[in-house]
Amino acid sequence: MENKKKFVLEQKWIVLIIVILLYGFFSIVSKEFHKTSTMVMMLDSTYYVLLMAIGVTFPLITGGVDLSIGTGMVCYALTGGYLVKFLGFPSWVGMLVAVLFGLIVGIWNGCLVSILGLPPFLATLCSCMITRGLGSMMAHNFAVPWPGVKEPGGWFHRIFKYTIGSGRKASNYPVGVLVLAVVIIIMIFVLNHTRIGRYTIAIGSNKEATRLSGVNVKIYHIAAYTISGLFAGLASVAYAAAVPTIQPGTGAGLELDAIGGAIVGGVSAAGGYGSVEGTLIGVFVIQLLKTGLPFIGLEANWQQIITGLVLIGAVIVDVLKQRKAALAGD
Amino acid sequence: MGEVILEMKDIDKSFPGVHALDHVSLDVRAGEVHALMGENGAGKSTLMKVLTGIYKKDSGSIKYQGKEVEFHNTRDAQAAGIVIVHQELNMVGDLTVAQNIFIGREPRKGLRIDDKKMIEDSKALFDKLHIDINPREKMSHLTVGKQQMCEIAKAISHNAKIIVFDEPSAALTEKEIEDLFVIIRDLRSQGMGIIYISHRMDEIKVITDRVTVMRDGGYVGTLITKDCTKEDIINMMVGRVIYEKPKEHSMVPDDAPVVLKVEHLTAGKMVQDVSFELRKGEILGFSGLMGAGRTETARAIFGADPKQSGDIYVNGQKVEINSPEDAVKHGIGYLSEDRRRFGVVVGKTITENSTMAALDEYMKGPFIDKKKELDITQKYIKELATKTPSADQLVVNLSGGNQQKVVIAKWLVKNSDILIFDEPTRGIDVGAKNEIYKLMNKLAQQGKSIIMISSEMTEIFRMSDRIVIMCEGRKTGELRIEEATQELIMDKATRQMD
Amino acid sequence: MKKKVVSVLLSAAMVASLLAGCGSSGGSTAASSAAPAASEAAPAASEAAPASEAAPASEAAPASEAASTEAVAAGAHAGDEDKLTGTEFEGLTANDAYNFAVVVKSFQSTYWQAAIKGMDMAADELGVTYDAQGPNSESDIADQVNMLNSAITGGPAGIGLAACDTTSVLDSLQDAKDANVPVVCFDTGVADAPDGSVVATVATDNTQAGEVAAEHMYEAVKDVIANAEGQVRIGEVNQDATALNIQQRGLGFINKMIELVKADGKTVAVTGNEFYVNAAEGADGEEASADVIIEVAVPAQTTVELCTTEASTILSKEDCIAIFGSNQTSAEGLLAANSNLNLLGSDAAGGDVIGVGFDAGSVIKGAIADGTMYGAVTQSPLMMGYYMIYALTKAANGDSVTDLPTDGYWYNAENMNDAEIAPNLYD
Repeated sequence: MENKKKFVLEQKWIVLIIVILLYGFFSIVSKEFHKTSTMVMMLDSTYYVLLMAIGVTFPLITGGVDLSIGTGMVCYALTGGYLVKFLGFPSWVGMLVAVLFGLIVGIWNGCLVSILGLPPFLATLCSCMITRGLGSMMAHNFAVPWPGVKEPGGWFHRIFKYTIGSGRKASNYPVGVLVLAVVIIIMIFVLNHTRIGRYTIAIGSNKEATRLSGVNVKIYHIAAYTISGLFAGLASVAYAAAVPTIQPGTGAGLELDAIGGAIVGGVSAAGGYGSVEGTLIGVFVIQLLKTGLPFIGLEANWQQIITGLVLIGAVIVDVLKQRKAALAGD
Repeated sequence: MGEVILEMKDIDKSFPGVHALDHVSLDVRAGEVHALMGENGAGKSTLMKVLTGIYKKDSGSIKYQGKEVEFHNTRDAQAAGIVIVHQELNMVGDLTVAQNIFIGREPRKGLRIDDKKMIEDSKALFDKLHIDINPREKMSHLTVGKQQMCEIAKAISHNAKIIVFDEPSAALTEKEIEDLFVIIRDLRSQGMGIIYISHRMDEIKVITDRVTVMRDGGYVGTLITKDCTKEDIINMMVGRVIYEKPKEHSMVPDDAPVVLKVEHLTAGKMVQDVSFELRKGEILGFSGLMGAGRTETARAIFGADPKQSGDIYVNGQKVEINSPEDAVKHGIGYLSEDRRRFGVVVGKTITENSTMAALDEYMKGPFIDKKKELDITQKYIKELATKTPSADQLVVNLSGGNQQKVVIAKWLVKNSDILIFDEPTRGIDVGAKNEIYKLMNKLAQQGKSIIMISSEMTEIFRMSDRIVIMCEGRKTGELRIEEATQELIMDKATRQMD
Repeated sequence: MKKKVVSVLLSAAMVASLLAGCGSSGGSTAASSAAPAASEAAPAASEAAPASEAAPASEAAPASEAASTEAVAAGAHAGDEDKLTGTEFEGLTANDAYNFAVVVKSFQSTYWQAAIKGMDMAADELGVTYDAQGPNSESDIADQVNMLNSAITGGPAGIGLAACDTTSVLDSLQDAKDANVPVVCFDTGVADAPDGSVVATVATDNTQAGEVAAEHMYEAVKDVIANAEGQVRIGEVNQDATALNIQQRGLGFINKMIELVKADGKTVAVTGNEFYVNAAEGADGEEASADVIIEVAVPAQTTVELCTTEASTILSKEDCIAIFGSNQTSAEGLLAANSNLNLLGSDAAGGDVIGVGFDAGSVIKGAIADGTMYGAVTQSPLMMGYYMIYALTKAANGDSVTDLPTDGYWYNAENMNDAEIAPNLYD
């Protein structure tokens, strides 16, 4: 029998080819799309989607999901931003609070799922509502702008984008690519070379067998959601750098870009399989569609329809894969 | 025996990299029980899947009731009267017995499902089979044996002409197997053709008329059962003689230290005040009927299920075991009866499964030491003679016997001293079974202590130094191998039944 | 092998469906789906326009004589000592301690917080109270209708409403009328409201506000257009094509720009979002040959991220000389897009792209102060909230109230700290 692991790899590389084809297609149709500035703009919004996606890859691999990352991210950005903008704390305090807030919500989600045994879909859907309300409350219903690039405390923008010069002579360097590359390498390592990663996969593949091997599955199950929350916290910083004003009550729907990216990148919707590098590639498919379709003059609504269709395609591949695996296992 | 109703000729089927069926032939007559034998991986299941349309054959012909047929799915096959009673039960636990039997073809009264007719028809089926099951009972409330009976009833309700039994006895007790044979004989007398797949040599002799043997995807031969011996069949299957005699006396010295002592263990309904001792180097057999509470006892000791009361002593020290994690820390390993669900993570590699319990010892700082992990895995692949191309092989691709070896390796890597084998050879073919037995004996000689839960009487007698018998959640007896007889065990195992 | 084949086929299918999607949307499907929406909305806009024009002429005309050159119309002059002088509310007192319900579009932007501030001021002065609520985002139309319905059931002395979608609230307005609850619309008027349900509308004259933006932008790019060798492009990002105020603002800008360009002897064409293309009046050029192209973009949802993408697509085009964001969200989208492109500035002749915004907020104010954004038009949310409470009180007293249009004011780096302008520029 052919090795199933190989097949997951196949999907990842096929998706990479799709990324390249999409990029080529958009570049040929629209010369504006082909500009460096467009790439940099796409990266701005890719950072936070990608961070969320890397995080949510872990609950997805356990066979769960985390729907609270979108509203969560906005909630953390509002909280941190409120401290910085309205209460005068330095930026690093705001960032730290945002990341810690994410971590706490992640632990909370993990406890709901692992200890109380709630279905992940429901548990995190509730957290999605809670963070949406909590975010507005934390910011006292104000729309919160984090410090701009040139304002004091705006240094955090330069984690993601370094601007040299000013006005029309300015050039932007997407240094976030390097930061993200480091994060991705670390997370690839975490998933493949640490206990958290190994047991995350084992829980998704067969939780009971893992438990009966003497593994404290509760702790590792919580850990998967904690990683998701932590990365939503990190994403909130990238979000604050990309969006001029954080608006209360928003964020619902952003998690779908992240979850969609992970699924397109080969994370199994039923759990047990997935990779950080696959998620990276999958997120690029989603982001290319989001950015490229307006450039080729397509009505905005078509983006969503097409993204949805691509997702269905990815899920069909996943289902077929599982069916094959089931047959092979007999 | 009547005329031939099914004739499969020169069936050939290849998968990528595997020649699964190499010109295999099989014919079944009306009113015969035809055994299909072979080690796991010999191609029996594949042949049956070709017959019922799950797989498409590459070449060859299938003649059924005189006509050339080709089924596209199991539904087609069922409609024509060919049904399979699977080894793994395909029942919906939350539905009733009657709902399960008629699932997908519920009798209707207008738009409504005619529950009354469904229940009456179920009753009629059960009467025909002389089984006593309430059709209104939820499927999940029945024992595995009874569920199997329902599966048979469901098969018969399709007006079957050919019934394929795929290891029907694997989950059944001796008594239930006898009941099953009564049913099978009854079906045979009604002129049905029965294909009977099993690893149990004794049953083959008792119930079948002819035997077809397969090996490595090829056809070996067909024999008339009454004209051949067990050894003939086994030789055809494996090409070598294997048979181990029952143990005659205990291999454990009387003064061997007690490594595990369980006192007044109570956990739910199925474990009531169970006490016993396990000595170093001992194989302690747990015998009893299905539902006697043996698995539940094992799970309670292992911390997999909560217990209400009772004490556990390991090497004389009282220990608190509230989770499998605690049990593993105290050197206990559990090998579940249901390997695919509870034993191995089938989608992961041999290496990942082997170090699952002991991963803490294979770390280099925060990272897994993959080199060390691979070394230990390969060591046990060699030691246990696990058949696999590499340590990276996914467990799903291994045969049952080799999967069991991976589970054993997991506990050996963890260096567990007390091993609980729950039905260690269920679903494992004869050759591999023997290897597992040898391995267990070797482990015992090395000083490991083993609790072996088994529903196969021959297995209990072959392996045990001492036998604990349970019935309905209570320990009803304890026998040394020297004094044990089948009759004595059955007597204790059914003690509280009447 | 088989698995590989299957996966290759599937991914091919994915790509194929994607391409099919692109093809059809560029052609007939999108056009046919958008057309009915446009034709429905068009009469609404044309009905609304005369109404808002007529109102200042009849009611507020006397007051406007005293007004400065920029801010014309009614007593909506924020800098005045007494905000009520010259309005019908002069000397108004509440007959009772009324409790009003207020339904705003959302709390998303600081714009609405300024409106709340105005409501608080009026409520304090009059000794009345109000409960304000609003959906999470301006696109949550259904949520807002629910809030409106429950407000009506609560039986308040009157309701102040800023409708997210002007057609969705019509049934509820009929209910309010049946329940004898007077409704004052603010920020956004409801043109098709059932007779007698809406007693007054306090709203920015959005058409005028859009025109103000066009006039000032044209001043800055006039020479560039005159000296251009080829085609030039003026962009407009509208957050949606459903809300009446955005429609009026967008069209006010487009139509004024067409008028100004044509007056200087150039041809002009409008492209992009079908609603705005169809509703624009007076464009005489073809897209391929016109001297000036006005390109209108509308995102799928009213979020800054999506406005940013839309703004980027326009700004990235070489021939783009100016761009207008018609509310706070889309104006911030311009700025976010510019943070990558660095094209905006105040020196049009030197090659800067002229960016014009709408409303305020600290991000836009900052960009105007440092010259990135050329200028913006502000409304007076504070005054609208303020007048709305007064109008409700008068209606609750049992007196008749008339519509009160408030103006849009141009502000830029020079005048943004003036006493007349600054109070409107919320953070």
